[in-house]
Formats: sequence, C-alpha cells, structure tokens
Amino acid sequence: MSTEQSTVIPEGFNLQHGVRPVTGQDGVECLEFSSSMHTLYWQTYGEHSVFFQALIDGRLIGAKCPKCGMVLVPPMTWHCPDCNFQQMESVDLPHFGRLAATAPITIFPLASKHGEAPYCRGYVDVVTGASKASFMPARLETTTGLPRPGIFTKGISLRLVFEDEREGRITDVFWIPESEVPEHLRSESLLLASQLQFSDPKPPEIQHTEAMEGVFCEALAALQGMADTATRSLRAQENLRSLGDLEIDVKTSGGNAALRVHDGVLSVYLVGGEGVKDSETLPDFVMQAEDPAVFSNWVNSGSLTDAAVEGRLWLPHRQAFSALPALDRVPRSVRRDTEEEKLSAES
Amino acid sequence: MNRVGIVGAGITECRSRWVEATYWKLFQMATRATLEDAQMSAAELDSVTFGIYNDIFEHMAIPESALTGLIGMGNKPGVRVTNGGATGFYAMRAAWMEVASGASDLVLCVGGEKATDCHDPQSGTATPMVVDTIAKSWDPFFEYPLGATASDSYMQKCMAYDDAFPGDVGNGQLRAQMIEMLCRQGNRNPFGQRRKEEVTAEQVMGSRWIIAPFLRLLEACMYTEGAGALIFAGEQKTLEICQRTGRQPVWVKGVGAANESYSVGRGSSNLMQLHRIESDALAAERAYQMAGVRPSDIQIVEAHDAFVAQLMITMGELGFVQLGRTRALIEEGIMADIRDLGDDGRPDKGQVLLNPSGGLIFGGHFVGGSNMFSTWSAVREMQNRQIPLALVHGTGAINAAYGGAMVLELGEEAVA
Repeated sequence: MSTEQSTVIPEGFNLQHGVRPVTGQDGVECLEFSSSMHTLYWQTYGEHSVFFQALIDGRLIGAKCPKCGMVLVPPMTWHCPDCNFQQMESVDLPHFGRLAATAPITIFPLASKHGEAPYCRGYVDVVTGASKASFMPARLETTTGLPRPGIFTKGISLRLVFEDEREGRITDVFWIPESEVPEHLRSESLLLASQLQFSDPKPPEIQHTEAMEGVFCEALAALQGMADTATRSLRAQENLRSLGDLEIDVKTSGGNAALRVHDGVLSVYLVGGEGVKDSETLPDFVMQAEDPAVFSNWVNSGSLTDAAVEGRLWLPHRQAFSALPALDRVPRSVRRDTEEEKLSAES
Repeated sequence: MNRVGIVGAGITECRSRWVEATYWKLFQMATRATLEDAQMSAAELDSVTFGIYNDIFEHMAIPESALTGLIGMGNKPGVRVTNGGATGFYAMRAAWMEVASGASDLVLCVGGEKATDCHDPQSGTATPMVVDTIAKSWDPFFEYPLGATASDSYMQKCMAYDDAFPGDVGNGQLRAQMIEMLCRQGNRNPFGQRRKEEVTAEQVMGSRWIIAPFLRLLEACMYTEGAGALIFAGEQKTLEICQRTGRQPVWVKGVGAANESYSVGRGSSNLMQLHRIESDALAAERAYQMAGVRPSDIQIVEAHDAFVAQLMITMGELGFVQLGRTRALIEEGIMADIRDLGDDGRPDKGQVLLNPSGGLIFGGHFVGGSNMFSTWSAVREMQNRQIPLALVHGTGAINAAYGGAMVLELGEEAVA
C-alpha cells in the first residue's frame, strides 16, 4: 500500500531558478524570485525509537504508568505527566480498537500528499478498558473502495494491519474496519496488508428496479447529448484528451452503461441492450451509483467528484478518483463554449 | 495589577497576496496606522511584542529581528510570540501583562503574516503549499506523515462534537445561512479581504468539498497577507491619550488563556478531549471571572472563526449558547442581523453582534495578527454603537488546542 519513494524531496518537486515580473492588485509591476526553505534531516526518534522498533517487529506498544494506570499509545513520553514524572512501563497492546470519533476524510490535501486524496485519518481508542488512555493517531483504510462517509463512524471496531515491508514509520501500519477482515483471518495475531484484498474491490450490491429505468434513460440521453456536443467543443476535447484512453463501466439501479474516452472523444454506450458497446475489453474501472440521476446531475450542473465525496458514487480506487476533475470539466467546458458561441459547426 | 487600556488600533488592507509588499512593509504599515490612530509617535513607545506565527511563511528565522528598526523600535525591548492560530491573542496577552505589571507604560503589539508567497510546483498554485506549511505544525513522528492538516484536525473536533451532540452543527444548510450573515458583515469592513463578494447560502452548498462530509470551501477562513497593531497603555497614559484623540478609553477588563494537550484521549487533563473545545471554555471562564462579567452582559463578540462549524461550537464554549444547541444562534436569532443594526444600532437584549468584521472567513486571517484585527473591529464597534462590553477570542494549534479570551470595556471617563 505504501508508495515507493527513494528521496525525501520527491523528484520533480522543485522550481526553476529565476526572477520574474509579477503584478498584483495595485497594478504596479514588482519582481518575485524563486527560492526554497528546505532543511534535510536524519532526525532521531529518540525515546520514540522503541515504538518504531516494535512496529518493525509487528508489535504495538504503549507506555503504562504503574501508579495511575494511564496508557499512552504511541508512548509520547515514558514519564507520567500526571504522577510527578513516574517512570512508565512498556506494555504490548492488542491489534484491536474502537474509533474514538467519526473521522474526517481529506479531499483537498497538502502538497506532500499530492494525488493521495481522498484519505481518512482518525484516532483509535486501543486501551478501551483503561480509564486514562490516549488515542492513537491512525491511518484508516477500507477494502471496499474509496474512503467515504458512513464507514469510519464513532465506535466501530477496527483492526490494526501491518505493511509487509516495514521501515519504522507510522505509515507502516493502518487500521481497517474489523467487519472487513475475512473470517479466516480474524484470529491471526499479526495481520499483513498482503493478506487483504485492496486492489480489486467489489462494488456494493445494488438491486435493479424498474422505477429507476426512466431516470436511467434520462441520464443516458443527457450523457449522449453531452458527448455529442463535446465533439464540437475545443475546451471539452482538451479536457478529455488529458485523460488519455479510458474505459469506464457505469452501473446504476436503472441500467448500465459504458463511457469510453479515446483521442479527446467521449463515447457513451448502453450495456445490456441494443447498441451494446463494441469492445469486449475489461474496463479501466467501474463506477456505480444507486441513483442514475448522479450522471444527469453531472451533465447539468453537479459534479462526479462531489457525488464520490458524498458517497453517492462508488469508486474502486484513487486512480479512478483522480480522473474525476477532468471529467467534471467536460460539461462545464461544453456549457462555456455553448454560451460563448464557440462550438464548431455540426459535422 | 495596573489597569490597562487600548489606545490605538490599526490594520492594513487584507489581501490574498500583497505582491507590492514584503512582511517588513506590512508591519510598518500597521504600526503607522496605529500610531496615527493614537496620535502618537514611535518615540513614545516603551517596547514591542510581535505576533508572527510561522518562520516558513516569512522565509526567515527570527523574522521579527528585521522589523525592529523599520518600525522605529531601535534600542528598545521586543519579544516575538508564536502560538499557532492564537499567536495574535498571545502577543496581546504578553503586551497587556507587560503594562499590567508596570514594567512598561506604552507597548506596541503588532502581528501579521505573509502566507501566499509559497508555491506548489505540482499544481502550479500556492494553496497546497500553504496547507503543507501549516501542516508542519504537526509532529514529524506520528501526525504529519498521516496527512494531518488544519482543516482535517478542526473538522475532527467538529465531527466528534457532532457524535456527542448529533445534528447541532451537522446541518450544512444552517451553516450556509450563517456564512451569508457573516458575508454581509464582511461587506462593511473597509479593510476586509472579501468585502466585494456576495456569497449566498446556495453558493456555499455548491462549493467544493475540502473535508468530507463536514467542510466546503466557502465555510473556511482564508489565507491572508496583512498586519494589524494595537497600543496597550497604563491607566494614566490611556486617559492622557484619550484626551488627545477625543475618544472614550477602552479598558482590558479580563484576560484568560488555556492550552490543551497535544495528545488526544480520555481521563486526564494532560490528554485532550475530542468532542469539546475545552480551551475556549476555560479561557473564557478565566476572562469573565477577572472582568466580573457573564456572557449575557456582552453584546459584541469577535471570535476566531477558522471554520463556521467551529465558530458555532466556540460560541457554545464561550457561553453564549448551550453546547448541543448552538444552532440557536441562527434558529433563535441570537446572532444579530446586521441589516437590522446598520452602522450604529445595538443588538436587542439576548442578542449578540458576532464577528462584525466579517471574521476570519470574510475579513481576513493573517495568522500572527488576526486577533489584533478582531480587536481593532471590536474597539471600533464598541465606540460606534456605544456598547459597553466586547469579547475577543483566539484559537489555534492542532485540534484547536490553544484558546484565549479578552474582555474589553468601553470607559465612561469623560473626554474633552
């Protein structure tokens, strides 16, 4: 699950050396110079070293005060701040916990997490039996697709998972809902990321309902209308071209479709009816919405990104999510070129 | 302890970027504006406290050292304060303490930030780098590597509050209504960053997600470049300067502060509770006690609104509404509507004028001086509306750990 990185400043994360003109609100030309304030570190973990050494060994440890019983995980200190700095003892902790509070999902990340959103971070109550205990800052992952609202809610049971290759960082471990741990792995004392299936999550089951067929037909017509107009919009073609070749299966409770992007052109196919899509290749990914209106909303004024963020649109992984901003720009470009009368003549 | 007054207040225009000025110039601009406001010269000042949050933004370690001579404080004592989002408040507290102790009689308190010179080469914009620079406020061992940001940590608090008090701050529509009200107030602020913007509830609900499912773009404070300054003075000096300016004095009546633990957990005061902003409650209680007032006596609040959901909880913690019932601010009209008050009207009994500056969401948030900006507004509103008491609030650091509160009183002393 971890991304390979050989240097601490990622390759390409840099600026050209230079000075250039810049004009601000006052309309006066000024100059700006490129620069950096990087410091490189071989930073000691110091008193935290034992915690990270334990992670490498596949163990989670905390610091326990023999006097008041407070348990700190991670052990932020080995001297109890409540008991006149009494020496604390190392304790092995279970690989289970409860989410202390419903966890936020970051959609707009910091520069160092570029391309990693959406991600979820929360606090895990590990030592649930102790009256005094810290909560562990936690990376929260799911095997059921993108993190989305409704999964990481207060009180859910969580299981600690270790990366197969660990180097001594907090990202060596993460937590998943206990309910996602397959039955046969529940008694494992050390659960490894490779024992879980992250790469090909199954979309949640949806029931086909006749009532939704009408909504689906409207969505399909809206998609096809947009795809047609996009062939006459330079901006939309540019948006689509940035996606390269892409094949997406679309599943809804009213029917299924397929979207294909090739050479700046979007094609929309009905699946399971007449005019079935022409290729039998596997899609790059599936997106699924119980309500087909998610797609007509996309065409009209909404966005697929919002639908995914809010949990109305299911996506398997972050690569799929990263395609959404360009897709979201397509209907906007079509509208803009239409308003500005910049559509090319119909072919 | 000596009685302390605020005799001058001035701010720069709040901008998303000041291409025309470095922080050196911004601090000098704010100092000049404040000295003009107090009709004083820098030579009369005894010392200075600086509020600068983050060396990386200023791109200089010991950033205040460059300012000493530029603001006319050569060969005088100066101390820099840095306390996360609450930097401004804590710099004000330091200036107040210096006068209250008798060590100085006239102290300049100036704070500001240069935030958006940062640049992220991956997006070609500033914002992800600004977010990253603020995220450096989290430790490098446990929290930063997980992608902690100011937004996600404040939303963690708001979502934990929502677990404890379901539905109170979780209604996006209600929060959007509050944004509309704050926007109208921000439109009145001649220095406000978004004074020309008209943001509707519908636009708020349509703005993109920052943190799901609790924070949209238009519910968050801005990144601002600017500076603000205040002058704290002993009792005699205060009265003397008020004779010069012909304005009623504004007294610092109560000051309170509290910092919660960095570590989150339960059962100890050395562990932070997630579902409360306890630092706000403790700071306010301490300030009220010193001032001998209750929240119901106060009708102007300039609160540090990093995010609108946090502002609602903060108003609960400060005692203006009940925790769990903070939506009463909107639903029961406790937050006065500026359209009813105009420029000199007073809120009805039981109402409060909340963030008349537009707050940090619409006015601006130059971190090291934002609370000076809030104080500048509170002083102005007290004088214009003849409202006797105001509260200024600051919050900051991971999970809103730092809290500060200052009660101000409009003096009844006669002026020439």
